[in-house]
Amino acid sequence: MASIRAENLVKRYGAFRAVHGINFDIADGEFVAILGPSGCGKSSTMRMIAGLESITEGAIYIDGKRANETRARDRNVAMSFESYALYPTITIYENIAFPLRSAAIEGREIDRRVRDIAEKMELTSLLDLKPHGLSSGQAQRVGLARALVRKPSVFLLDEPISHLDTRQRYRMRRFIKSLHQEFNYTMIYVTHDQEEALALADRVMVMSDGEIQQMATPDEVYARPRNAFVAGFVGEPPINFVDCRVRRDGAGWAAEFEGQRLVLPERLHRAAERVGDDGLAAIRPHFLSIGSSGPMVLQGRVFVTEELQDQNLIFVDIGESRFTIVAHPSVKPVRDEVVPVAIDPDHLLLFPRSEAKKFEDLAA
Amino acid sequence: MYELKAVHKRYGLSKVALRKIDLVVRDREFLVIYGPAGAGKSTVLNILAGITRPTSGDVRRDGVSILRIPPERRDAAMAFENYALYSHLSVGENLAFPLRARGLGGAEIDARVKRISGILGIGHLLDRRPGLLSGGQRQRVALGRAIIRPADIYLLDEPVGHLDAKLRHKIRAELKALAEDLSATVVFTTTSSREALALGDRVAVLNQGRIEQAGTPEELYHRPANAFVASFVGDPPMSFLSVTPSRDGDRIAFATPGGMPVAALPANAVETLRDEPGSKIQIGFRSNEVRLAGPDDAGTLRGRVDVIENLGYVKIALVGIGDDQVSVSFPADQRLSIGETVAIAFPRDAVHLFQNARAVAHAAPRL
Repeated sequence: MASIRAENLVKRYGAFRAVHGINFDIADGEFVAILGPSGCGKSSTMRMIAGLESITEGAIYIDGKRANETRARDRNVAMSFESYALYPTITIYENIAFPLRSAAIEGREIDRRVRDIAEKMELTSLLDLKPHGLSSGQAQRVGLARALVRKPSVFLLDEPISHLDTRQRYRMRRFIKSLHQEFNYTMIYVTHDQEEALALADRVMVMSDGEIQQMATPDEVYARPRNAFVAGFVGEPPINFVDCRVRRDGAGWAAEFEGQRLVLPERLHRAAERVGDDGLAAIRPHFLSIGSSGPMVLQGRVFVTEELQDQNLIFVDIGESRFTIVAHPSVKPVRDEVVPVAIDPDHLLLFPRSEAKKFEDLAA
Repeated sequence: MYELKAVHKRYGLSKVALRKIDLVVRDREFLVIYGPAGAGKSTVLNILAGITRPTSGDVRRDGVSILRIPPERRDAAMAFENYALYSHLSVGENLAFPLRARGLGGAEIDARVKRISGILGIGHLLDRRPGLLSGGQRQRVALGRAIIRPADIYLLDEPVGHLDAKLRHKIRAELKALAEDLSATVVFTTTSSREALALGDRVAVLNQGRIEQAGTPEELYHRPANAFVASFVGDPPMSFLSVTPSRDGDRIAFATPGGMPVAALPANAVETLRDEPGSKIQIGFRSNEVRLAGPDDAGTLRGRVDVIENLGYVKIALVGIGDDQVSVSFPADQRLSIGETVAIAFPRDAVHLFQNARAVAHAAPRL
């Protein structure tokens, strides 16, 4: 078990700054997901924790002790990589057993632990095979098993469950979560998949452009994203954005978008002060509905309706913006139908447009 | 219409990719082939394209065998999972290539390249070489090159698999609209349940070289043929619970380690069970079709919360009951703790009945 602290952590590769001086604390036994798009600095951050990458500036403390100079193998940190590099000439069994053999653990104990983890990860039938015949999903599970079998004090998991089908993803995710609950490892899970991050972590660290955009519980990053990047990156289906202007309205504020005017709830007054003419309103697809009740209703034209059986996703064009609406499976408007779209103002979010532009430039 | 008739495909001596499958691709339908990695999805596309020859069986178009027709004469437009772009050509030239090959004029080519690159969000990349693009960008070029030209059939091999969630969401809708506009015949492979249900007019679930079930999304979701399809179609996956069924008046009663839940199957569903001693009888239900019970709910199922998953708009409790673990969704703002005992209530339409993984009865869906 171990706590981890980063102080003004910087990673430069030549002139390129991958990590821009970030600070965070991860408590002993905590499960933290580092979430962000490719190139955001998440993997560099993790590799510095593991000791696989030198630290350009700043420091990492493991259990309060400065670890910058500690070699990777002395940190008792285990990793599973996205590129699950397995040893091609030995069996799956020996691949999983490998970290135990190098730690000079006794043979019967090795056998017990390898078979135990193989059983949990549904690898038992593959133990005698060599890696070359495995599917990428199977190879990934072997890589994970090899990391987990050591029972280290910190687990670093780098995109461990990409490339899996829906059912396997749930199975692996639940397995990792139960593992954390059972053994209380400190776990750091690096992913670009917001769904994995929300489902697994105690706290999510959202990164973009080498900086931490927000570090908070899944509930918070979902319901109270700190900026437009977090709002746009977290949530499935993705949040809807629309340009807006914010104006004084008596003692309060009102937002104007797509020719409509909405008096803003007090919750948004502080955001409104920062936004002015160049605002971005955001609303999650679950808080829009087809219907004409409520304080704000916009007219839209239906583009596509996706029937997911448990719910329908309705894509509606309103002015220049395409909105996604989550609706009951019985709501099936057809293409080009003009429909009223009601916005639940309690869940409206407001950001400065300039902020979002910055992130768009990064993405392009 | 394309048909695979008893198509069998073996690679080398022992690796069987497809096991005598029958599959129909109807004119102008969007058919999704959905299955886990290694199921044989790409092999089906390659056989339709003529790139791969079946070991045995026949491939027909409108009833006539096309086994001897080479790929270049089949008029199939394909997007490969590994992109296969022309590295010496710019993105724009890659997109224009299939149009030039058909002798289209410059203005027509420019218009189409502009339209397709706009839809796919790669309009700003037209002058670049593929080597300088990210995986997601390359994948969109590969998809664009396939859909830019008219074709008898479009074969799209996991064409959005490498895109981030936001782009996948956006392009999925564009693809569906485009296929409708063009009245195109499309075969699309995926490992995502959401994609399969969102896009498919019909979905064929492929597993280990066999078709487990082919049907409309509604059929697969509400009347899965077996436990594999039931657990594979739907996100999150269906839960299963071992039960001992018996007749209770006009209903079935299910004895379980968590109590005797009241479920909605009519009593005659008992008679659909075969008399096979030692059978494994399970009920299956989806996390969003059951709910945490209130004090007034009768006949609930009790268990202990093992894991809580946050999906943002909703949470899912994994509840341990006997040797099984079932999932039930609950509102994101409701408090629930690990280790807590909860009761699950079954609405009337929530249950499927399985015997040895074969579906024997389904409660009628609400719709």
